[in-house]
Amino acid sequence: MHRETIEDALFRASYLSILAFMLLPLAVVVVTSFAESGQLLFPPENYSLVHYRGFFEETRWISAFDNSILVGVGTTIVATTLGVTAAFGHELDDGRAGQVLAPLVLVPLLIPPIILGISMRVYFVKAGMDASYLSIILAHTLWATPLVYFVMRSVFSRFDWRLLDAARDLGAGPIQSFVYAVLPNVKHGIFVGALLAFIVSLQEFVMALFLSSHNTETIPVVAWTTLRQSLDPMVSVVSTFLILISIGAIAVAAIATNLDWLSKQLS
Amino acid sequence: MTGTHSSLPAPVARVWEPLLERSRSKRALLLMAPLLLFELLLFVAPFLILLRISVTEGSTDLRYAPGTWSLEGYAEVFTTDVLLGAIAYSFKMGLAATAIAVVIATGYAYAIWRAEGLLKSLLLFSVVLPLLTTLVIKTYAFWPLLSPTGTVNDILVSLNLISEPIQFVPGTTGVIVGQVYIVLPYAVLAIYSVLSTMDWGLVEAARDLGASRPRAALEIVVPQAMPGIIVATVISFAWSVGAYAAPGLLGAGDDLAFALEVEKRLLSNLQWEIATAYALVMLLLMLVSIALLTAVLNVFGGEFEYA
Repeated sequence: MHRETIEDALFRASYLSILAFMLLPLAVVVVTSFAESGQLLFPPENYSLVHYRGFFEETRWISAFDNSILVGVGTTIVATTLGVTAAFGHELDDGRAGQVLAPLVLVPLLIPPIILGISMRVYFVKAGMDASYLSIILAHTLWATPLVYFVMRSVFSRFDWRLLDAARDLGAGPIQSFVYAVLPNVKHGIFVGALLAFIVSLQEFVMALFLSSHNTETIPVVAWTTLRQSLDPMVSVVSTFLILISIGAIAVAAIATNLDWLSKQLS
Repeated sequence: MTGTHSSLPAPVARVWEPLLERSRSKRALLLMAPLLLFELLLFVAPFLILLRISVTEGSTDLRYAPGTWSLEGYAEVFTTDVLLGAIAYSFKMGLAATAIAVVIATGYAYAIWRAEGLLKSLLLFSVVLPLLTTLVIKTYAFWPLLSPTGTVNDILVSLNLISEPIQFVPGTTGVIVGQVYIVLPYAVLAIYSVLSTMDWGLVEAARDLGASRPRAALEIVVPQAMPGIIVATVISFAWSVGAYAAPGLLGAGDDLAFALEVEKRLLSNLQWEIATAYALVMLLLMLVSIALLTAVLNVFGGEFEYA
C-alpha cells in the first residue's frame, strides 16, 4: 500500500509539473502584457495598460491585424473547399487517386516550413506574384488543407452513406442530395475544419515571412521582426490577443464536437 | 460518358482517362481533382523549380542564372565548414529535443488517458492551446523565464542552489527547451490518440499476474502505444531538425541552425543556387534519417510485442 501511494504521488507530481510547463509560458506572455515598464520582466514590477494603448495607436500593428484576418479568411475558404470536396470524393471512391492524394496532402506538414517558404518564394517570384496576399493564402492553404482533409475523412467515415443513396433513389440530384442528406450531418465537422484552417493561418509565420512585403505582413511576422530587434512588452499585448483567439476557437470547437474528439483529429 | 471524353484536349485526356479507368466513379475523381491539382501546382511544381535552381551557376548581379547548368551549389555545401556545421547542429539539437519530447509525451499521454472528467479536459486543453498558438509567442515566452535575469535564475539563486545566474538563454539549453515546448503537443496527441483505443483490462491483467505498476506501464502500455510513439518521434524529429524559430530567437551566436543559414544565403547573400542546394541536401538527409528512425522503432515495437 505504502509503495503505491508513493508511486501515485510521483506520477501526479510529474504530470502536474508538465501541465505547468505547458501553460506557464503562455501565462507569462499574458501577464507581461500588463507590465508598466518597457523591459520584459516576469513577474512585472508594476502593472498598467500602457502597452495596450500603444497597440491601438500603432498603425503597423493595426494593418498587420487586418492582413492576418484577410489572409486567414482567404485560407479558410480555399482550404475548406479543397479539403471537404477531396475528402468527400475520397470517401466515395478510394481508388488510385485517393491513394496518391492522402500522402501528397500530408507530406508538406513534415517538410520544414523554411524549405517550403523558399520554394514558394522562388516560384511566386517567377510567376510575378510575390509579396501578394494570394501567395501567402496559397502557402497557408498548403498547411491548413491537411487538417481539414483529415478531420473531414474522419467525419465522413462516421456518416451513414445509405442516407445519400436514399436521397438519390428519391430523385435528388448530386448537389441536392449533398445539401439535404450529407451537409446537415457533417456541418459540425466542416465548421471545426474551417476554424482550424483559420487558426493555422493566423499563427503561421515562417512561410509568411518569406512571402510577405511591408504591406502584406501578418501579425506573427511583425512580432518576429520586432522581437529580433528588441524584447518588447508590446509583443506580449499582441500575443495575448492571439492566445485569446485560440482559447475562443477551442471553446467553440469543443462545444461543436468535444475536446477529446478534437484533440484526436489534431494528431 | 464517352461524349465528355472526346471533348477534352488531348494532353488532358491522356492523363485523365487512365485515372478514370482505375477508379470507380467519375464524380469522386472530379471531387478530388481540385486538391490534386492544387498540390501539383503549389507543392510539386515549386519543388521541381527549386531542384532546377540548385543546379544553376551562381551569378553576381542576378539572383540566379537561368539556363545554366552547374553543381557549384552542391560543391559549396559539401566544402563549407559553416554549412556542414549548421547541419550537424540541427541534427544534434533535433535528436535531443525529440528524445526529451517523446519520453515526456508518453508519460503525459498516459496521464491524460488515465484522467477523468475535469482533469482530463484540463490536460487536453493544456495540449491543444499551445498547439494552436504561434511559434513566435511560444519561443518568446521563454525569455523572461530563462534569461540570466529571468524567473528561473531568480528562484535558483534565492534558493541558494546556484551562486551565479546560468545563461540558458541565449544558448543551446534555451533552444532545446523551446523546441521541446514546440513539439510536445504534437507528440502527446499522436500517442494519446493511439492509447485511447487501448483496453485498460490489459494493464489490470498484467497487474493481476504480479507486474508492478511501472513494469505494467513499460511492458503493456508502451508497446501498445508504439504506433503513436513512432508518429510522435517522426513529427518531433522533422520539426526540430528544420526548426527556425527556437534557434533564431533563443540561440546564441554559435547556435547556427541550418534554417538560419538557409535564410541568410537566400535573403541576405542572394546566393540562390547555394541556398536551394543546401535546402535539398538537408531535406534528403532528413528523409533518410526519418526512414532509418522509423525502421529502428518498428523493430523495437516488434520485439516488445513478442517478448
